[in-house]
Amino acid sequence: MKFNGKVLLTDDEAHIRKFLGLVLKRLGSPVIIEAANGQEAVALYAQHSPDLVLMDVNMPVLDGVQALTQIRKIDPEALVIMLTSLTNRQTVEQCASLGALDYLRKDLPRDEMIAQLTQIIGECFGPEDAATTKPATAP
Amino acid sequence: MNPTVEPQKPDLQGRKVLIVDDDRLNLRILARILKPEGLIIEQVYSGEDAILQYAAFLPDLVLLDVVMPGISGFETCRTLKARYGDDLAPIIFITAKADAEDVVEGLAAGGVDYLPKPFRGREAMARLRVHLQNRMLNEEQKKLVTQLSSANTAKNKLLGMVAHDLRNPLATVRGLAEFLKDDGKEGKLTADQIDLVENIYTVSQSMLEMVNELLDLSVIESGELKIHPKPVSLADVLERSVTLNNINAAKKGSHIELKSVDLPAQLNIDGPKIKQVVDNLITNAIKFSPPNSAVTVEASQTPQDCTVAVLDNGPGIPENEMHKLFKDFSQTSVAPTAGEKSTGLGLAICRKIIEAHGGTIRADNRAGGGCTFMFSIPLPA
Repeated sequence: MKFNGKVLLTDDEAHIRKFLGLVLKRLGSPVIIEAANGQEAVALYAQHSPDLVLMDVNMPVLDGVQALTQIRKIDPEALVIMLTSLTNRQTVEQCASLGALDYLRKDLPRDEMIAQLTQIIGECFGPEDAATTKPATAP
Repeated sequence: MNPTVEPQKPDLQGRKVLIVDDDRLNLRILARILKPEGLIIEQVYSGEDAILQYAAFLPDLVLLDVVMPGISGFETCRTLKARYGDDLAPIIFITAKADAEDVVEGLAAGGVDYLPKPFRGREAMARLRVHLQNRMLNEEQKKLVTQLSSANTAKNKLLGMVAHDLRNPLATVRGLAEFLKDDGKEGKLTADQIDLVENIYTVSQSMLEMVNELLDLSVIESGELKIHPKPVSLADVLERSVTLNNINAAKKGSHIELKSVDLPAQLNIDGPKIKQVVDNLITNAIKFSPPNSAVTVEASQTPQDCTVAVLDNGPGIPENEMHKLFKDFSQTSVAPTAGEKSTGLGLAICRKIIEAHGGTIRADNRAGGGCTFMFSIPLPA
């Protein structure tokens, strides 16, 4: 699979963005836009309309759950994967009910992380030539 | 008695005694006995008043006459007991004579002792002293227990916070080392540099495991270990665990074999938590067995329960250290065979997970050498 879409990578910790950036680059040649909190993410989403959002939960200024809500308001079809450090069932369920696509644990070993992202992205954009644009079902 | 050898009396100064008696002469006599000890005395003349006054005065001890106009002493005692339960101050009945039946009924009503009339000063004071001292000790213990339990909560919270905050940076250190060490896509490293990166990877990996165990423990300790049972195939769980752990075992030349699995198709268990237990038992088996060992995983069932056993070729557990195995932070004198790390928490966590499933976990040395760790989970009746 080759994923060349535009990804909005949101986490308040620069080292996480660094690591996830490297992980994403193993999936293809994605364009990566970085945001350090929910507020930045919402603004950058409106500006760039990325194909995929990776969104941390606990962030200053505007947390991931609120940012998810606002982004889904801008674009009801937005594909948002929540980044969690622990699988807190409640948060995961809350995000799912707010329209998050899936969640990804930030503490996974690299290869497991690559495998999970490959699977999620494959399901969204088709397994073969992963899109550079929105999936066909999007308006 | 020689006053110099009399044991030192704890200070009863300021302790509060409620005396309930309709006979004012009795009240005066008792007051005269108690006053010199520095006790604060409150007097009422009926059971009804005693109940009212108890709430306002909150005595440390109650002297309660049995026969009074209005409600009796026993009735008063029962009412107070129902209202205050175990917090109720000790109640001593004042009885006309040490009538066996009165004494029995009084104790059944919640009293702790009786004081026969006519009063003898030294005896009366001795009895009161014992009960007041017990009361004081009880209060101190309760205070201590409250303090300890809040200190324990604070410890768990701190442990959780520290572990939680260490996790992400550690995971990044490990992850970035993974990018550097393997395929050269991030740039070529020399053999020496790869060796350094391998070290960073191994150390951060083992630190991450320790932090995860600490976090697990803090969650379990704070009473937040919740299992979410779902119908799961235990055989699948075992198979997955054995496959994944074989990758690491191979690095030590060891092999894990899954055999004789006789299990119900599905069990109502928390799959990920049980896998954590199986993973832990298998990792331990590899850790404590010499390189190039064979570890065996077996599963069996009876009508009552199903049992998973992990058999290793380690040195076994010294009998006098068996009791330490499943306790927090306890390590036995047995050491890992290839410098692996251990927090001493893994088995404690396993025990808590298995107990949350209503099961049991234990370890036995085998006669022929090696050790068997096994857990059983009850099957629904």
